[in-house]
Amino acid sequence: MNSQLIDTSIYADISRFIRDESLRILLEGEVIAVVGYAAGRRKGSVQPIIACDTESAGRLMFSQASVNNLAVYLTKAKKEIPKSGKIGIVLKGCDLKALVGLIGESQLKREDLYLIGVPCSGVLASTVHPATELATETIAPKCLECDAHLPTGCDFVPDVALPPQQKSDLKYAVEIARLEALTPAERWAYWKEQFSKCIKCYACRQVCPFCFCEQCLCDRNKPQMVETTPRPAGNTAWHIVRAMHLAGRCAGCAECERVCPMDIPLNLLNRKMAKELKELFDYEPGFEVNDKGPLASFTDKDDQSFIK
Amino acid sequence: MSRIGVFICHCGENISRTVDVERVAAEVAKLPGVAFSTDYKYMCSDPGQNLLKKTIQDHKLTHVVVAACSPRMHEKTFRKAVEAGGLNPFLCEMANIREHCSWVHEDMEEATLKAIDIVGMMVERVKKNRVLPAITVPVTKRALVIGGGIAGIQAALDIADCGHEVILVEREPSIGGHMAQLSETFPTLDCSQCIMTPKMVDVANHPKITLHTFSEIELVEGYIGNFQVTIKKKARSVNEDKCTGCGVCMTKCPQKKIPNKFDQNIGLRTAIYVPFPQAVPNTPVIDRENCTWFKTGKCGVCQKVCGPGAVDFEQEDRLIVEAVGAIVVSTGFDLYSIAEKPKGSPIKGYGEFGHGKIPDVIDGMTFERLASASGPTGGKILRPSDGMEPKQIVFIQCIGSRAREKGISYCSKVCCMYTAKHTMLYHHKVHDGQAYVFFMDARTPGKSYDEFWRRSIEEEEAVYIRGMVSRLYQKGDKVVVMGSDIAVGVQVEIEADMVVLATAVMPQKGADLLAQKLGISYDKYHFYSEAHAKLRPVECATAGIYLAGACQGPKDIPETVSQASAAAAKVMTLFSKDKLEREPIVARVREVGCVGCFACKKVCAYGAVEEKEIRDRQGNLIKVVAYVNPGVCGGCGTCQATCPSKSVELDGYTDEQIVAMIEAL
Repeated sequence: MNSQLIDTSIYADISRFIRDESLRILLEGEVIAVVGYAAGRRKGSVQPIIACDTESAGRLMFSQASVNNLAVYLTKAKKEIPKSGKIGIVLKGCDLKALVGLIGESQLKREDLYLIGVPCSGVLASTVHPATELATETIAPKCLECDAHLPTGCDFVPDVALPPQQKSDLKYAVEIARLEALTPAERWAYWKEQFSKCIKCYACRQVCPFCFCEQCLCDRNKPQMVETTPRPAGNTAWHIVRAMHLAGRCAGCAECERVCPMDIPLNLLNRKMAKELKELFDYEPGFEVNDKGPLASFTDKDDQSFIK
Repeated sequence: MSRIGVFICHCGENISRTVDVERVAAEVAKLPGVAFSTDYKYMCSDPGQNLLKKTIQDHKLTHVVVAACSPRMHEKTFRKAVEAGGLNPFLCEMANIREHCSWVHEDMEEATLKAIDIVGMMVERVKKNRVLPAITVPVTKRALVIGGGIAGIQAALDIADCGHEVILVEREPSIGGHMAQLSETFPTLDCSQCIMTPKMVDVANHPKITLHTFSEIELVEGYIGNFQVTIKKKARSVNEDKCTGCGVCMTKCPQKKIPNKFDQNIGLRTAIYVPFPQAVPNTPVIDRENCTWFKTGKCGVCQKVCGPGAVDFEQEDRLIVEAVGAIVVSTGFDLYSIAEKPKGSPIKGYGEFGHGKIPDVIDGMTFERLASASGPTGGKILRPSDGMEPKQIVFIQCIGSRAREKGISYCSKVCCMYTAKHTMLYHHKVHDGQAYVFFMDARTPGKSYDEFWRRSIEEEEAVYIRGMVSRLYQKGDKVVVMGSDIAVGVQVEIEADMVVLATAVMPQKGADLLAQKLGISYDKYHFYSEAHAKLRPVECATAGIYLAGACQGPKDIPETVSQASAAAAKVMTLFSKDKLEREPIVARVREVGCVGCFACKKVCAYGAVEEKEIRDRQGNLIKVVAYVNPGVCGGCGTCQATCPSKSVELDGYTDEQIVAMIEAL
């Protein structure tokens, strides 16, 4: 399929709305800080900032380079955010799903947050320069499968009309189908090769909003659950632990995949787990807070086919 | 340094037949930390246990591994012996080399190697066992009894007679339950009311029993020894403290034609009523659905005629909270309805019997009311449609029961006997009548039961026909019963004046909802489940909750009363100590690692996980973490498996111990 440009004209308006609203809530004392995006040093690049004053709030913006899931800055594992007072945060739909998950897991309280939802046409893939225009070839694969372009349940959503979405290949769905068609041995060989690349930098862990444990079990040494050196057994163990811990929780922000320096297709694994959860428990993360995820509850309608 | 003693049991020949126990003992002796290793014919025997105790002292052992059978049977035995030998009982572990090894293998060499591995794993595990002090929780020495039928009454009286306070909660306006509805009881034919009502009065007068009738359980919190129960006292519209029970209100109430549930809806009552004359408490209730005052705002006759001014239209439902240490559940049974299948119910009903629409087809309990001297007919057997005395009466057994296609596969246990009783009562009252009974087979195990059944045939002229009925239909004023006599192999057709169905015994409606409030388990029919079918038949798997009567399964009166007394004995055992000792195999939170996601709380089946705030010395909140209440924790380990940061551990089954076992392989 030839690459087609994706309409991002609304992002300029959205940036203005975000600035105005952030200035308002900061000035009126409704929040003590707004977590958002500002222009980075590289041309077209964007970086997360924590705006506590009008000067920094004036720098807030949104563009196709606003890839980061900012929800991660609110978790306990991250210490940058002031601990007292209400926090404003800018969220794409995928980020909002993660934030809602954090509320469900008692990590955040809705009343402590001011949510600024972003109508989003998509962001850039991690492999392209941030100054690139958004197109079906340069968009992040997760955006092609996104069902959350317009966040709901937020305190503020810029009033702009989303341009219609363009149809394109669903890269994850295609890749999952390809892997599912393989024999278990071939599949194992594929993942073994992928995991062998891992250097155990744990960037995937640091960027994931759901990795909020202050002490990761993979860092424990009494007993040592997961081998810490980047050797095949420990690598595989780590990635299986990660996939299992995210099952029924991961909302697909694909930050793990973006930050992986070794290009391990981490979100592919997450999407496969999400697909299983959907098939087994008809569960998908959404914008509603769930008290009990699918793996923490039991009903007599749950799949029993594993009991032979 | 550990000094571990390992004892390999032969279990007679059960283990030594396939496992070379001497070789296991010799191999295990080489493991680091093992100070003593031996084999013995029967470790659980008295000399075996003495060997254990003596060796602990002689060899100054610090830990013990007994390699024998499944810990389910003898773990307690050996832990006790270890305690007697001077060690903490939780420093003893069992290695299962019988069920897990000798019984399932044939090859001696391989079984022996496997046994060495199993014992080796337990040696590594026991090294990491900690001294676990017993957990003690205080016991509130008050009991709650739910359901005021004969089971609840008996349990309440037994517990109260021991000097403990009892709260008895009954859903209906009066205690008495189904037994109060019965006419006479098998196998002696003594009057049910005559033996029942004195017990009801005892309950009312007992200084240790607090009676809450017309009340339901709203909420149950807490755990064994320390339950908090919220009881909803439904608005009676009559002040219990003021009412003298004179009954003037009932005689003056203009609404006189309301079917009385106590009389199986064939008798009538007023809108302000007591269900039956011997009711306890003898305080009326206003049925607000049928009361003219509540429907139209006019009338109020009962209030005007009430001398003490007890009638109170303004009364509202009240919630009261009671602290109790033990709960006896005795909610009893209900009867299968042959009417059409209720939505979502496994019950199919009986279309071939007219779905309950033929008026002279009644159930056994309705027959009891007809035969009862205090019933709607004054004890005369008169059929509901026209009040005629039936001269031909047909009893059909196993209606619903033992009929998988109707939704129930179990036997209701009491029907054979009460049908035999019914034929006798009928014969005594209608001398020129004839009773027929269709039955599959007569089940009469019980003291004097079979003699009673034979008497109904041999002396009381009941005709028993072995076979089932395929169809009932109305023909003029008769009910035609079409069935088969399989003993003779012919079709039988009887034109009956009345038909009595021995419908299946089922749990009370809403039994499942109450079980969910209590946190006890129930089977697919909603009968409550006991902890062990044979050895713990009156206890629930949930500690501190006991079962009595037909809520557990169909039971007759003597069985129900026995079980009620047994449940009371269990409650008294619990109340005999001021503090309760619990096995310390409970989960514990490592607070430094806990991030308070409360995944553990969501999966805890016991409700044992609480939220705990951690504050600094200035009182600032540092974080909120999970806390496992050791009094409630059942030690299942689900929280341990769920915790993403591995910050919950089950004592005795810590990750360190499990990993040590794996690494020993």
